[in-house]
Amino acid sequence: MNMGSTSTSDDQTSRPTHDIDTSLDISVLKEIARKGLIDALNSVNGAKTLVLDASLAGPLGLITEVALLKHHGVDKMFWLEPGPLSSTTTNIVYLCRPFIKWIKIVADQIKRHNREGLKHTYTLLLVPRTSTLVTRILEEEGVLGDVTISSYNLQFIPLAEDVVSLENDDAFKEIWVDGDETVIFNSMQALASFQRLYGPFPRIVGKGTYAAKLANLLTRHNQGQGPSAPGKVASEKLDSLIILDRQVDMITPLLTQLTYMGLMDELVGIKNSHVEVPVSLLNASSAPPTKPNAPSTSPSTGTSVPATMIKEKRKKHHLTTTSDPLLAELQDLNFSGVGRKLNQVAHRLDEDYKLRHQAQTVSQLKDFVGKLGGLQSEHQSLRLHTGLSELLVPQTRTEEFNKSLEIQQNLLASYDVNNQINAIEDLISQGTEMQVVIRLLCLASITAGGIKHKTLENIKRELLQAYGYNYLPLLLSLSSSPLAALLPNPLPANAPPELAAAAKYPFTSLRKSLRLLIEDNEIEELENDISYVYSGWAPISVRLVQSVAQKGGVLSNPAEKEKKGEDGSQKGKEPATGRVQAHPIVGWKGFEDVVSSIPGETVDIVQSIPGGLGGGTSAISSLLLPREQSTTTVVFFLGGCTYTEIAALRWIGRQNKGRRFLVATTGIISGKSMVESIAGTGGSWSGGSREAGL
Amino acid sequence: MEPEHPTVSWEAMQDGNAFYRRHQLYSIPGKLPNLGDFFVAGCRYGGPIAVMRDTSKMVAYGHATPAFSKAQLHVYSPAGEGLLTFSWDQGKIVKFGWTFDERLAVLNEEGTYRLYDLQGDYQQYSLGSEASEMGIVDARIHEGGLVALTGSLALLDVRGWEGGKPLTLANPGLTQPPHSWTVIPPDLTISRHVEVLLSTESTVYSVDNLEATDQRLSRGPFTHLAPSPNGKSLALLTSSRTLWVVSTDFQRSLAEFDTTHVIGAEGEASQVEWCGNDAVLITWDTTAIVVGPFGDTLQYFYTGPTFAITEADGVRILGPDACEFIQKVPASSVSVFRPGSSSPSAILYDAWDHFTRRSPKADESIRSIRVELAAAVDECIDAAGREWEPYWQRRLLNAAKFGKAFLDSYNSTDFVSMGQVLKVLNAVRYYEIGIPITYAQYTQLSPGQLISRLTARNLHLLALRISGFLSLSSSPVLKHWACSKILKSRPAASTSDAVLDEDIICKSIVEKFETVGGTGVSYAEIARKAWEVGRTDLATKLLDHEPKASDQVPLLLSMKEDRLALNKAVESGDTDLVYHVLLHLQKRLAIGSFFRLLEEGGAHLAPASKLLQVYAREQNPEMLRDFYYSDDRRVESAVLCLNEAANSLDPTAKINSVKAAQKFFSEDKERGFEAKMMDENARLLQTQQQLEKEADGKISFFGLSVNETIRVLLINGMAKRADKLKADFKVPDKRFWYTKLHALTEVRDFEALDAFARSRRSPIGYTPFVRHLVEKGHHKEAASYVPRCDANKRVDLYVECNEWRAAGKECKERGDKARLEQLKRTCPNSLIARELEQLASSMK
Repeated sequence: MNMGSTSTSDDQTSRPTHDIDTSLDISVLKEIARKGLIDALNSVNGAKTLVLDASLAGPLGLITEVALLKHHGVDKMFWLEPGPLSSTTTNIVYLCRPFIKWIKIVADQIKRHNREGLKHTYTLLLVPRTSTLVTRILEEEGVLGDVTISSYNLQFIPLAEDVVSLENDDAFKEIWVDGDETVIFNSMQALASFQRLYGPFPRIVGKGTYAAKLANLLTRHNQGQGPSAPGKVASEKLDSLIILDRQVDMITPLLTQLTYMGLMDELVGIKNSHVEVPVSLLNASSAPPTKPNAPSTSPSTGTSVPATMIKEKRKKHHLTTTSDPLLAELQDLNFSGVGRKLNQVAHRLDEDYKLRHQAQTVSQLKDFVGKLGGLQSEHQSLRLHTGLSELLVPQTRTEEFNKSLEIQQNLLASYDVNNQINAIEDLISQGTEMQVVIRLLCLASITAGGIKHKTLENIKRELLQAYGYNYLPLLLSLSSSPLAALLPNPLPANAPPELAAAAKYPFTSLRKSLRLLIEDNEIEELENDISYVYSGWAPISVRLVQSVAQKGGVLSNPAEKEKKGEDGSQKGKEPATGRVQAHPIVGWKGFEDVVSSIPGETVDIVQSIPGGLGGGTSAISSLLLPREQSTTTVVFFLGGCTYTEIAALRWIGRQNKGRRFLVATTGIISGKSMVESIAGTGGSWSGGSREAGL
Repeated sequence: MEPEHPTVSWEAMQDGNAFYRRHQLYSIPGKLPNLGDFFVAGCRYGGPIAVMRDTSKMVAYGHATPAFSKAQLHVYSPAGEGLLTFSWDQGKIVKFGWTFDERLAVLNEEGTYRLYDLQGDYQQYSLGSEASEMGIVDARIHEGGLVALTGSLALLDVRGWEGGKPLTLANPGLTQPPHSWTVIPPDLTISRHVEVLLSTESTVYSVDNLEATDQRLSRGPFTHLAPSPNGKSLALLTSSRTLWVVSTDFQRSLAEFDTTHVIGAEGEASQVEWCGNDAVLITWDTTAIVVGPFGDTLQYFYTGPTFAITEADGVRILGPDACEFIQKVPASSVSVFRPGSSSPSAILYDAWDHFTRRSPKADESIRSIRVELAAAVDECIDAAGREWEPYWQRRLLNAAKFGKAFLDSYNSTDFVSMGQVLKVLNAVRYYEIGIPITYAQYTQLSPGQLISRLTARNLHLLALRISGFLSLSSSPVLKHWACSKILKSRPAASTSDAVLDEDIICKSIVEKFETVGGTGVSYAEIARKAWEVGRTDLATKLLDHEPKASDQVPLLLSMKEDRLALNKAVESGDTDLVYHVLLHLQKRLAIGSFFRLLEEGGAHLAPASKLLQVYAREQNPEMLRDFYYSDDRRVESAVLCLNEAANSLDPTAKINSVKAAQKFFSEDKERGFEAKMMDENARLLQTQQQLEKEADGKISFFGLSVNETIRVLLINGMAKRADKLKADFKVPDKRFWYTKLHALTEVRDFEALDAFARSRRSPIGYTPFVRHLVEKGHHKEAASYVPRCDANKRVDLYVECNEWRAAGKECKERGDKARLEQLKRTCPNSLIARELEQLASSMK
């Protein structure tokens, strides 16, 4: 990581410049989700006790608030967890995902009530739909007759104005480890609902075995709808859907994210857009408002401040740009630029506060007071982000952190692989977090096409001794198909063919053809390419999106050309002036060979829109789009995406006019959450009090 | 001959401010039995009536209608045609009534209810075992469900007709059955849940699923309770024969009327119904009165008992001679036809009349309403919809068309669609069809429902024509047609013919669908029908044409086409459907053949197999064990053992599970490494057990990793044992050194740490010592290790230890003046800066 070495102008990433025309209004999705919840609750008459599956609390918190639930008859809320449930209301409403563990708890509680002779009316709301499995389990437990089973169809939840998510944290594990494809079906349904709202996707492009499954399900669903289906007119707002499954690019999440949001997710952890922060950062400041703390990143204070903070009580904070404009400026920055940005804002704020001294007349004073509210909230958010950065900085200075970055960079450059593996072994000796080690190992295996048999066994043994033999199933999952992320080289002769196929990830050729690694001498221009999000590595997933939606950007740097045209003195000018019109979507054209070299099926379907003239017209009509009109390309990540990938896509969106991206995903992941989910050690935040909140 | 003028049937009320009209829909002399001897239930929207003999009443032998020895239900169309007759062989019928989609719901005292369509096919549901034990004494059936009163006087609410579980409503604490009671359907209440009104003693209780409210009335008991069509008002008839109308929340009294003086009103009233939302109809054996909102009345006489059905916009009365309809004359009709009306529509109609007679007054009239012409046209269109006679419909539409011509821009959509709708309405009102539906009812019912009512009567051709005419999808009609075709064409006796027959039927159905263009027809539903009547061959053939897997699967399962069902379910991508099949098969098949089915499916059924594993891992590990075992999946079996080990609390069981895993791994040649690891694991667990015993259970070791065990040993001062563990498990030096460094720092045993550091040359160097100690805040101790680190790192390390002087000295020793200058700039205070300055100056 090159802290503070970037010299690009900050204007580049300041406020995202928006096109004037309206984009998709995805807040509708939130309204639909809200209304669905209220309708589901209202189907039960009177006061009710709500018992909530804790993994849903986060997603629900994004669409509603406790007051609204109370308003619709929710008397008390509890977490769904083993043990007795005492309810003062006759109605008990369970709200959970249809997982066996939850249903067993529900059945236990009902049986307990029956034994104690308590009369309750039970309603089970399953998210997103009812399930035969649940019926069966309730039947086996002998309580099916006591429960009314219904559903609450929670689908896409907007996380930002250009991100929607199913908020299913375990999607990756469910598909690639358990082989449970429920998520794919649910994704299809969510995308189908999306089409009902905004019109069908004229074209579906995708890569990956499961992406192909999803694309086929979706097109089959669309055909099944028949001509009378709503939204039959091709959407003018959408130009395509790009589906990428996570296996197409396993490398990106294995790396350490280096944007502000990404790094925060790596080091502090962001769940459902919420981050746990020390209470003192959220409460109104006790410091005098005239002197906002300039971010102090000098090492002497850097180490001592967070030490006290860590012990402090923590509180969940919703990271949203709607109430925190500063976040919008910071979230996608490379962390090396965050300190400077904070400094700038602090100075600007200081200037703004000073204005009050210039206030001479009463009306000027009144003007100032009018602005005060805004200043104070900005001040508050500056405090928060300064504090958060201070939490992050010392963690980025540890030897382990930098060692792991170094190993990553070397592996990506295929530089002295054996030594990197020795370095990983050293990390194990030092007691580095398990997930860091696993990520590096998988990275080594994928980039190098496997690790030497003997070396691999040795390092696995180290791992098991250091972290516990209970991680053996994790290692087995990683080394079997379809995951194939940790393999010996060469593969044993009798390895199943699907494993052998998955093992052939053409990393080195992709690195060249997709211009993945930006060499050191280009590092000056980091923020001119999507690779800035990993300080020199362009996520494969995003390069693939570019090869559909910004073909020029894959081969050379679009920002570079623009820079050449401009004079140095004009640097301060709005970069938007040089932006070129986005080209129409023509599938993988030009990159067929590259894409087909990646294991997994390639998808390119032109959806015949009923009512249109059939097949190819939509592609042609997209060619004829009026220049001013802006369309949206939906990028769906099956198995989750990282904050860095979102940042990179936003960056592309800013390079061209006429196309914006909407990121849709099964959930936001990081390498950490991925590994923990497979290992089954993913922590949940709930617990503590029995009484639940959102 | 011109049909009589619309106003002929009008009768004025409220001093001529409102008109009611009564017109005969069908003449049906002698077609219906004497309704006084029967229980009757009428279906709204011009639907049929169902009758059943009231066995408590005597009937003259040899009467025109057949005498019934056992319970029989008859269904008659409003035109008096018999639609359906069936016998009832179940327990005594408590109540019967009609659903919204024109099915007859029949409930018996055992809590069983059936839903009959007009072809006599039925679905049967039950109110549950509790209800059947208590017995059902009474019920109210509304279009969207029913409320039953059990023998223990509890109220059970069934919502919808899908056989849902009944919900027990709040207990009103009845001690005897209510005098009378009624329900307000859920879609008319504020809470959107059903509300029951019970007349008990002198008061009325309102009951819903939350509470029973005593309305504290003193005028009861009431013999009749009837909610208005919009659910806002309630008509009550007291035992002293006073009609009392209140709002359904009992907050306002709306009207009162004493019926004792009504001529011909003898004995107890037979029905209290509503005529619109502001007038109440009370019937006795041979008379009926309509009581308006201001207590004024209209009276009608009949030759025998009648039955009245409240419709949304009026009331339909079936008498011995005729089926008639009484309603408040709609506003548009009043506006056009009221004698002396000077409304624009009346003038438009008049102008058109002049026009047809070539009178010049036409032009004059049109001119006079120029401004309001558009409204007048709309009103004429609307009035056309309200007329029964095609003659008047046509005249009114003509008038509208005439007026339309004078308008520059007029959207004719309403005009055209009214023309279409009237054509449809006139067709279905024809006595052979016998659905006397009004325009208002039609708009409320929806065209789709009307078509399904036609198909229910097997009037497929008409239904198809109407679908086409209204440009609706023809698939519901086709589907129904196909089903009834299958039902009607009984298979031939000889087997060879049968196969041939099936082919012909299947072909004819498919061909019909293709020619008529019924896209989106579900072949699966038709196939199910065929299968239900025992025609498996036909069902299979039809199912082949079904494109949607989710529709094929349940039927395939019922047909025991297991493999096909599973394949289709997997193809659909719907995991719930896969579970549906899996769980079904697991229940039905022997476990061996169930597994075989999955194994033989190979890669295609892999998703199903995976799902079964997900399910079984949580709910049925025994089965999963068998599954893996039968398929020789040793690795999975081993992992299952490890899961068990992770979940078991008993140490011995845990060790045994690990050993079992080890055994499974060792059976697979490729899994030597894993077997070895599990061997180590078991060894570790045993060692830990031993260690715990030695520590008298004061320290817990069990389940820790090797590293952790070493750490715990070290912080408890058991260095020897730690060394032994290191040797036993061949822990590499590097890892051991780090672990020990961390452990000793944790317990602040710096002496031991120092001894350890000196014990031999550190395999990890000494920088980690410094770094770790600094990280844990032991700067002083850290500094003592700096001299042992690489020379070129020492300055930095000293700085990390906050040892500025030492750092300075180090610079001096190395003669690095530049670095010293830099230290001076970055050092925390001036005191140190001065000392560094001195050092610098002492250098050359």
